[in-house]
Amino acid sequence: MLQLLYRLRRRFKKIVITLHPKRLFDIPVDAECINPDMFAEKSADEIASLKVWEGNRQRTLEDLFKIKNETVSSSEELTIRVRGDVSKVRRIGAKMSMGNIIVEGDAGMHLGEEMKGGVITVTGNADSWTGARMKNGTIEIKGDAGDYIGASYRGSTQGMSGGKIIIHGDAGYEVGCFMRKGFIKVCGNVGQFAGIHMRNGTILVQGNSEGRAGAQMVNGKIVVCGYLPSVIPTFTIDVIRPKVKVNGEEVEGPFYQFIGDLADRGDGKLFVSKTKNPHLSMFEEYL
Amino acid sequence: MTHLIIKNGFVYDPLNGINGEKMDIFTSNGRIVEKVAEKEAKVIDASGMIVMPGGVDIHCHIAGAEVNSGRLLRPEDHVKDVEVKTRLTRSGVGYSIPSTFTTGYRYSRMGYTTIMNPSMPPLEARHTHEELDDTPMLDKASYPLLGDWWFVLEHLRDGLLEECAAHVAWIMNATKGYAIKIVNPGGLEAWSSGRNMRDIDDSVPYFNITPREIIRGLCKVNKLLNLPHTIHVHTNNLGKPGNYVTALETMKCVEDLAEGDRPVIHVTHSQFSSYKGSDWRTMSSGAEEVAKYVNHHSHVTLDVGQVIFTDTTTMTADGPFQHRLYLMTGNKWVNHDVETETTAGIVPFRYRRKSAVHATQWSIGLELALLIKDPWKICMTTDHPNGGPFTAYPSIIAWFMSQVARKKTMMKISKRARRNSLLPSIDREYSFYEIATITRAGQAKILGLKQKGHLGVGADADIAIYDVNPEQVDPSRKYKTVRRAFRKAAYTIKGGEVVVKDGQIVKPVYGKTFWLDVKTSLPMEVNDDLKQKFRDYWTIEYENYAIPERFLHASAPISIKAEV
Amino acid sequence: MKNNIIVKVKNACAVGEAKFLNYALHRQTKPLIRKNGELVETSLEEAIQRGAEILANAQYPILYGWSNTSCEAIRVGVELAEEVGGVIDNTSTVCHGPSILSIQDIGISSCTLGQLRHRADLIFYWGSNPWSAHPRHIDRYTTFSEGRFQRSAWRGYLSRLTGTLARKRLGRAIDLVLGRQILSPPETEFRLPPTLFQNKRKMIVVDVRKTRSAEIADYFLQIQPNKDYELLQALRLLIRDEELDVDEVAGIPVEILEEIVDIMIGCKLGILFFGLGLTMSQGKLRNIDAALSLVRDLNQRTKFLIMPMRGHFNVTGANVVFTWQTGYPYAIDFSHGYPRYNPGETSVTDILRRGESDAGLVVASDPVAHFPNAAAQNLVKNPLVVIDPQATPTSIMADVVIPSAFVGIEVEGTAYRMDHVPLPLKKVVEPPETCLSDKEILQRILVEVRRLRSEHN
Repeated sequence: MLQLLYRLRRRFKKIVITLHPKRLFDIPVDAECINPDMFAEKSADEIASLKVWEGNRQRTLEDLFKIKNETVSSSEELTIRVRGDVSKVRRIGAKMSMGNIIVEGDAGMHLGEEMKGGVITVTGNADSWTGARMKNGTIEIKGDAGDYIGASYRGSTQGMSGGKIIIHGDAGYEVGCFMRKGFIKVCGNVGQFAGIHMRNGTILVQGNSEGRAGAQMVNGKIVVCGYLPSVIPTFTIDVIRPKVKVNGEEVEGPFYQFIGDLADRGDGKLFVSKTKNPHLSMFEEYL
Repeated sequence: MTHLIIKNGFVYDPLNGINGEKMDIFTSNGRIVEKVAEKEAKVIDASGMIVMPGGVDIHCHIAGAEVNSGRLLRPEDHVKDVEVKTRLTRSGVGYSIPSTFTTGYRYSRMGYTTIMNPSMPPLEARHTHEELDDTPMLDKASYPLLGDWWFVLEHLRDGLLEECAAHVAWIMNATKGYAIKIVNPGGLEAWSSGRNMRDIDDSVPYFNITPREIIRGLCKVNKLLNLPHTIHVHTNNLGKPGNYVTALETMKCVEDLAEGDRPVIHVTHSQFSSYKGSDWRTMSSGAEEVAKYVNHHSHVTLDVGQVIFTDTTTMTADGPFQHRLYLMTGNKWVNHDVETETTAGIVPFRYRRKSAVHATQWSIGLELALLIKDPWKICMTTDHPNGGPFTAYPSIIAWFMSQVARKKTMMKISKRARRNSLLPSIDREYSFYEIATITRAGQAKILGLKQKGHLGVGADADIAIYDVNPEQVDPSRKYKTVRRAFRKAAYTIKGGEVVVKDGQIVKPVYGKTFWLDVKTSLPMEVNDDLKQKFRDYWTIEYENYAIPERFLHASAPISIKAEV
Repeated sequence: MKNNIIVKVKNACAVGEAKFLNYALHRQTKPLIRKNGELVETSLEEAIQRGAEILANAQYPILYGWSNTSCEAIRVGVELAEEVGGVIDNTSTVCHGPSILSIQDIGISSCTLGQLRHRADLIFYWGSNPWSAHPRHIDRYTTFSEGRFQRSAWRGYLSRLTGTLARKRLGRAIDLVLGRQILSPPETEFRLPPTLFQNKRKMIVVDVRKTRSAEIADYFLQIQPNKDYELLQALRLLIRDEELDVDEVAGIPVEILEEIVDIMIGCKLGILFFGLGLTMSQGKLRNIDAALSLVRDLNQRTKFLIMPMRGHFNVTGANVVFTWQTGYPYAIDFSHGYPRYNPGETSVTDILRRGESDAGLVVASDPVAHFPNAAAQNLVKNPLVVIDPQATPTSIMADVVIPSAFVGIEVEGTAYRMDHVPLPLKKVVEPPETCLSDKEILQRILVEVRRLRSEHN
C-alpha cells in the first residue's frame, strides 16, 4: 500500500536539474553524461561526480558546472536545464531514451546523437552532427544549426533512422546525409547537398537550398519551398503538384515533382516550389 | 636469463605424442629444455589447466597494403571496438580489421605466438614488413604473391623451370618472404583486362599459359628450392557455386608430383572452394567430395576458412572475385591492381544466419573439418577477416568440440540450410589433442617451422596455458567453459617470458620476422639485361626493389639450400 | 656531389631537382628558444626539454605536418601524440582529405602507376595540371610513356604539334604574300578530334581553363566552374545508355558527352587522375564521391581506374602510417586515450580556426603560410614547437625551434608514392652536426615527456 502511494507520489514529481557552466570553455568538453538516463535515480553527489572530458583531462561535472537540483509537482519526467554558452560542450543528450533537455544558449556538436527518445530543446544555435544517427525522440533548435544534421558516421550508410529534428533558423550542408527514416524540418535555408545519399525519410526546407538537393538519393522525400539554383541533371521531372503531404500536414505548392537520383537508380522525390523558381520552368516541356 | 617451470599442467603436445599427460615443462633462455633447477626459476602452477604450444595461424590478413586499405575503408567498423592506451599497451581500434598493435595484443591474449600474413604483393613488400614490425607479441612471416608474376608466367610458358626457380629464389630473398602464394592463378593477370579464369585449363590472355601449368610449375619450383612450406593456393573460381570441381582439379593436378607422404600443395580457406550447385539458389555443400579426396590422398593439406555470422570485411588478392562480391552486395568496394604482379580487392560483408547461402557456408566449414579424418591435414582458420575476425577462434573451437554447440547454432539458422546440412548426421567431436593439432602442431608442421608448435626440447619457448581442466570439464557439454578459457589465456609465454596473464598483457614484446634466405648454386645473374627488364616491367628501379635485411626490426632468416 | 654539397642532379623532375639543389637555402642549424619575446640560440637538450614540457602540460595539443618526413619519423610522431593525449593530423586535411572521406563512403578502383604505363589507353586529367605540378607524370607513367601493351603517344603529339605550327606558319605566309588575312573556318567548339577514336593512347584534360597540360592533350574539355559534380553524375547516367532530360550539362552539349562516353566505354583500360581542381571546387568531397562512383560504374562495362594526384612527397606515407597504427588516415584525436576520428571536428585546421587547442607541434610543414588566417593566428598564439630543416614563416613564430636533417637528402627513410608504393629514400649528404633526424628528435622528446609525466604522478 505504502509502495503504491510512494509510486503515485513519484509520478507527480518533476525533477529539474539546472546546470550553469562555470566559465566559457575553449578546449572542447565531452559531456555524454548530461543525459536524463545518466541522471535518473542518482543522488546529487553522484550526479556531481559524473565524468566529463575537457581536452585530455578527465573532470567531474561539478568541476565545470554549477548544479542545482529541484523538485516540482508535475507529471513529466526528468528535465535537465543547461543555462549558458555551451557551444563547446559536445554530446549533450547523446544516446538518451527519455526525459527532457533544455539548453538556454548555444549547444555544441553531436547534440542528441544516437538518441532513442525524449525531447531536446535549444533556444540558441546548435552545431554540426546534431541528431546524428538518431533513432527516436525530438530535437528542436530555435536558432541555426551546423552541418551533417541527422547524418551517419564516416563510412557508414546508417544515418538517422527515426525521430524528428526541427530547426527554426538555417542549417548547413549535407542535412540528412544517409538518412533512413524520420523527419527533418528547416524553417530557414539549407546549404548544399541536403538529403545526399538519402535512403528514406523526409526533409522539409521552408527557405532556400544552396543547391544539389537530393544528390545521390535512393528514396525518400525532399521538399524545397524556396529557391533552388538548379536541379541535378540526373533528376527527371514527373508532374506538377498543387500541394504535398509532409509528416501528416499539407504544404501548399504548387511544386515541381522530380524523381531521382537516376544515377543511383533512385526513386526519391524532390519537390521544388514552382513560384519561387521560374528558371526551372524549362522543365515543363518534358511533362 | 629467464628460467621458467610450468608445473603440473595437462600437456597436449601432438608433435611429440603427448596427450594430456600431467607433466612439467622447463624453459631456459627462450627455449624448451630438459630440466631447470627450481630455485633459479620462476614457477607457474598450472594445476588443473591445459598447457599447449603457443597458437600458430597459417593464414590471417593482418599487414600490408591490402589490409591497410581495408582499415582506411572502415572507420565505421573501428568506432565499434576501441582499446584504450594503458601503461603497457598502445591504444587501437577495430573489430574486423584491427590496427596493428591491437592485432598483436588480441592474438597474444588468446595464447597465440606465431602468425603468417598470407598475401604480400612483392612490389609493396616493404609496406607489409613495416606493419609486421608494428605488430607486437608475435613471431611472423609473409608470403609473396607469385602466381601471376610476369617472370613466372613467362618462364613457365617457355618451359624454363630452373630460370623460374632462380627468379623465385631471388624474389623470396628480396621481399623477405616465406612461401610461394598463388591466388586465382592467371585470373589476376586477366583482371587487368577486366577478365577472369573460367577453370584451370583456361588460357591467360597474352601469356598463353593455363592455371594448371602455373600451379604445376610453381609446385616443381617449390620442390627444387626445398622450401619448408608447400605452395599455398587460393583456387580459381573461389566463391562460385559449383567450384568444388575446381578445388578437386587443383588438388589432382599436382598429384603426380608428390613424393611419398609429403604434401606438395596447401589449399587455403577451402570452405570457399567447396560449393556444389549451379547458382546461388541451388548452391549446396561440396564438403563431402572434397573431404573424401583429402582422406584418400596425402599430398594435400588444407585450412578451413570458417565463416561466422557477423559483419566483417572481405579482402583478398582475388580482384575479379571481389568485384563480383561488390556486384552482389552493392557495398563499397576497393580495388588495387599492382603492376606486373597481382591485384587486391576489399568489400565489407555481413554473414546472416537466416541467409540460406551464408548458413550453408557456415555449415560447409564445419563439415570439412569434421569429415576430414586426419587432423594433421587440416588447420583451423577463418581466413581473417574474410570469414570473420580471428577473435572468433574460441567459438569455432567450441563448434569443433561439441555437437551440442553446433546444434544450438543450427536452430537459429535458415531452415533450408539446416535441412541440407550434413552436420546433424555427424557426431564426431574434436578432442583437446586434436584441437592442439589443428591450431598449433599441425599448422607448424605444414609450415615447416621446426621450432614451433611443439614443446619438445629445443623448441622455442612459446607456450599457452588455458584455465580449463580436461579431467573435470567435458568439452562436449561444457563448451561454453572451453570457449571462455580459450578466449583469455591464463598465461601466454613468448620466448620464455610471461607476456599475458589472465588475458591481460603484462609484458609487451616484439617477435621476429622469419624469411627464407634461399641459396641457389647458380645465383640469378643481376646483369644489365635484368636491370633493363626491370625498368621495362616496373616503375621503380632495381636498386629500390629489394628490402635490405636491416630494414626489418628483428630479422630471423632461415637458410635454405636449393636443388638448383 | 662536391665537398658534401650537391652540384648536379640527374634523372629527377624539375621539382625534385630544385629540392636537391636548393635545400641549403634558408637552412637553420641551431636549436632556438624564445626568451623575453626573442628567439635565441640554445642547446639541443634545452630545446628538447622545453618542447617536451609544452606538450606534456597541454590539455589539447595539436601535432601537425608529417607529410614531408619519413615513415620512421611518423611512427614516433603517432606514439608521441598518443602519449600527450593530443590531436595528430597531416596535410591531407588541407588537400586530399575530401578524397579520403569519399573513399570511405564509396571505395576506390585503383592501381599502381606501372599498370597504367603498360595498359592505359585513355587517360583523363580532371582538375589537375601535371605538366606543372607533377612534371614527369605524363612521360613516366601515362600518355608519353612506353608500356608492354601500349605505346607512347609522344609521336602522335609531335605530329599534331607540327601540324598546328605548320598551319600557323602557312597562315602567316599567306598573310604576308596576299597582304590580307585568309579566314580559316571557325573551329567548332567541343568538336572531338579524330585522334580520340584511334586505337592508341589518348589523353583528355577536363578543366575550367586551358592549362599547359590541356595544350598537349588530345582533347580539352572546358567545364563551367563549380559544375564538376553535375557533369560527373550526368556521365554516370549516360554510361548506362540512359538519357538526360536536359540538353547541356556544365556548359557542354549532351551529344558531345555521349560521344565521350562512347570513348570511355570503348577503351581497354582507362584512368582518371584528379587534383585540387576537383577537391577544392564547390562540392568538395562530393565531387570525389561522384568521380569514384563513375569509375566504379564504368567497371561494369570496361576496365577503369582512378587516382588522386597527391601533393607533398610523403603525404601518402603519413596516411598509411596513421592508418595502420590508429585505424584512421588523418585528423586523429587521442585526448580520450584511444584514437577518435571525425574530420570537421578533429581536423587541425578546424580545431585551430575555433581556437580550441592550447599548444602545438609542427613537423616539416609551414601552416602559417598555408592555413587560413584565423587558424594560423590561433596556432602562433599558443606555445608552439617547430621541427624543420629550414627557417619558415612558421618557425620564426615558434617558441621552440629544433633544426632537423632533410629526409631523402641527409637522412634515409621510407616514403610512399602517390599510388602507395613504398620507396626507400637514400642519404647522399651528411647533415650538419646539430641537425638530427626528425625520428631521433621526436624520440628524445617522447622520452622526456614520459619522464615528466612519471614525475608528475
